[in-house]
Amino acid sequence: MEVLDFLVDPLRSGIDRRALLELALVGGFCGALGFWVVTERLAYSAESLSHGLLPGLVLAALAGAPLLLGAAGGALVAAALIAFAARDPRVGPDTGTAVAVTGLVGLGALLALAPESPQRLEELLFGDPLGVTDGDLAAAAVLLVLGGAALVALHRPLSAAAFDAGGAAAVGFRPALLRLVLLVLLAAAVAVAVQGLGTLLVLAVLIGPPLAVRHHARSPARAMLAGAAVAVLAGVVGIEVSFHAHSAAGASVALALCAAAALGSALRPSPGAGRRGAWPRSRRRAQASPGR
Amino acid sequence: MPSPLDLADLPFLREALLELVLLAVTGGVLGAWIVLRRLAFFSHAAGSATFPGLVAADASGVSPTIAGLAVALGYAGGVQRAGRAAGEGGRDHGEATALLLVAALATGVILASDVFESGAAVDRLLFGTLLGLDTADLVLSAVVAVIAAAGAVALGRTWSAVGFDPDGADALGLSAARADLSLLVLVAVAAVAAIPAVGVLLVTAIYVLPAAAARMFTTSIRGLVACALGVALAEGIVGLYLAYWLDVPAGPPVAMLGALVCLVLAAATGRSAA
Amino acid sequence: MSATAVRVEQLAAGYGSEPVLEHVTLEARAGQSVCVLGPNGGGKTTLFRVLLGELEPTAGSVELSGRPAYMAQTERTRLDFPVTALDVALMGTLAAGRWWLPPRRTERDAAAVALERVGLGDRAGVRFGELSGGQRQRALLARALVQDARVLLLDEPLSGVDPASARLINRVFDELRSEGRVLLVASHDVESARSFDLVLCLNRHQVAFGAPAETLNRAALQATYGHELIVLEDGGGTRAVTVQHHEHGH
Repeated sequence: MEVLDFLVDPLRSGIDRRALLELALVGGFCGALGFWVVTERLAYSAESLSHGLLPGLVLAALAGAPLLLGAAGGALVAAALIAFAARDPRVGPDTGTAVAVTGLVGLGALLALAPESPQRLEELLFGDPLGVTDGDLAAAAVLLVLGGAALVALHRPLSAAAFDAGGAAAVGFRPALLRLVLLVLLAAAVAVAVQGLGTLLVLAVLIGPPLAVRHHARSPARAMLAGAAVAVLAGVVGIEVSFHAHSAAGASVALALCAAAALGSALRPSPGAGRRGAWPRSRRRAQASPGR
Repeated sequence: MPSPLDLADLPFLREALLELVLLAVTGGVLGAWIVLRRLAFFSHAAGSATFPGLVAADASGVSPTIAGLAVALGYAGGVQRAGRAAGEGGRDHGEATALLLVAALATGVILASDVFESGAAVDRLLFGTLLGLDTADLVLSAVVAVIAAAGAVALGRTWSAVGFDPDGADALGLSAARADLSLLVLVAVAAVAAIPAVGVLLVTAIYVLPAAAARMFTTSIRGLVACALGVALAEGIVGLYLAYWLDVPAGPPVAMLGALVCLVLAAATGRSAA
Repeated sequence: MSATAVRVEQLAAGYGSEPVLEHVTLEARAGQSVCVLGPNGGGKTTLFRVLLGELEPTAGSVELSGRPAYMAQTERTRLDFPVTALDVALMGTLAAGRWWLPPRRTERDAAAVALERVGLGDRAGVRFGELSGGQRQRALLARALVQDARVLLLDEPLSGVDPASARLINRVFDELRSEGRVLLVASHDVESARSFDLVLCLNRHQVAFGAPAETLNRAALQATYGHELIVLEDGGGTRAVTVQHHEHGH
């Protein structure tokens, strides 16, 4: 059948098959982790981390080392710098993070644009799912398995802390520690996902799926599963579009993820059913303030 | 190492130098407000959001300046409306904004592969250029610098009042809301002016980093403006020299320099929260 | 097991350079209820955070019989997080360990029993954010009950609660006391403090601690509440009422 052929064509190409696999593995994990990214308001951190690791990527590309290594190292350095900068009370986290990220992106661009460098800046910025190596696939698989196991094991404590940090502390969990674990998972996800989507677009796979499902999911577990499914689906759509329209693969996937988010937000359930759905609305909770 | 005097001797570098000086003026005046009013992300976003518009303009022959201004103004208006709707300075829409930016960048890339033959053109849009500056860019930067200075003098007190107490600002009336919108519009327009020299991604290099550095050793608003101006000028000129020496666009060296200066000053005046 | 379930000596705590709490000394035995009175900003929640282990004290010592259970103010919870009343009650079972596994049958049963006890048996599947104020407080109480702790810390459990829920909650409190547990209840309501075994008056430092008859005198209340205190002279005697400030969010 023609339509079927049309859809299956990308699968005939080995390159696109691998791209699809990579995006499925990465999307599966990031779409689920994204629930916590949105719930715990980590979107800005995620974006800053992904932009900030650019120099690491470029250095790896220049040295001929695996990009994953550069991404991981870059993420660690970026995290440390951003944490240091954001903590300065004189300028606040918004400006502090901007300083750290701008500097890192500038450094990365400088290294990449210096005439001796091989011209790979586009790939690093916007991703290249079609250039996925076996190592990348392996890393994505490990991320999904280990990261997924971590999310499953930590599900109850994370939910308890998101619902009520004080109550979670009361039953023996330190919300600060849980947040740190989330940040570590986030850094790992960003480092792996950057191969396919590039530093500028990787945020889409972390917050697109949760935004797409947030008005429709009735529990955290379902939100995470639905998010993973949306991410994988968007990956498929993106590769299909890129294959048939000859558009840049990473960017096509990113657009598909954004479209999913827009669609999911627009298709809100009606207000009668909808009070159940609305999350996360404005955070109506008194920050744990001194005294009281 | 080339001679620094080349900056004054070579015609194209003279233009680049003038451009960066003009941008530094805006960076000093407006930058102080960007830092005080926590608009760093907004200024970055306004710049990045114009990317697809600029690519489309290159394709269709429309003036990129016009296209960029149209997108940036639309963005500023949208943010202000969303901010008033959310009631909290739009912080609830942080994720939507971020996703919008990703979509803008992705759209730009997809358009670019049809519009541009080489990646060099995309790099120019993303990180700026030394050679490609023309008179129109200089004029825009000059106009923006004048308006920024005038705006800061006229509206500075209102900007400060609204920043200090956003809820109470409603009591100050419509003039306060308009003053606030004018700040956002000004920042958005300034971002567009900076794009030819430093690129879509590094607008913050000239508008946020110098003011952030100034913030490390001064607290008064006047002091902030003056020091930000000085730092921006110094960083712009030295950054330009580095760009010329290393044969790269101006954006990256200015960005790196700006961040290093901030880091050093932060450590030296070391009052970071424990 | 010693009869003293809670002992605090010269406790001090704060969030920065300024101490928010100083010179707090109290002792409570099994079966006693302690009312912690004080104005907003007076340190009630800070005291609880120290007792919960969430905040390190800067001075003094704390001795507690086991890990205390905690009933938060609903303002500290997220109303839009998609959990049901049963899920909230189940959070109490996390204290028992093995948090990496899904809740076991016995834990689910304990949560269901706790919900029944607070009158929410039929609303177990309702989203927390959709419950009424009184029902939410009861769900948070159920979470504390599930922990089966010797000491319970209750942060303004009756604030914003309808009379029927309040009666139910108070009945549960009586049951808990007869079971030999200790209740520390942070409250604004001076009059209700008279029905407690012990009262602790806090205003950044300890103003008074002891039986209500001794502590609820004008001088102590004045020192605790200052200008927030309104004394009404009835026919039969005086009643003290405090002006309540509820800060919703910041």
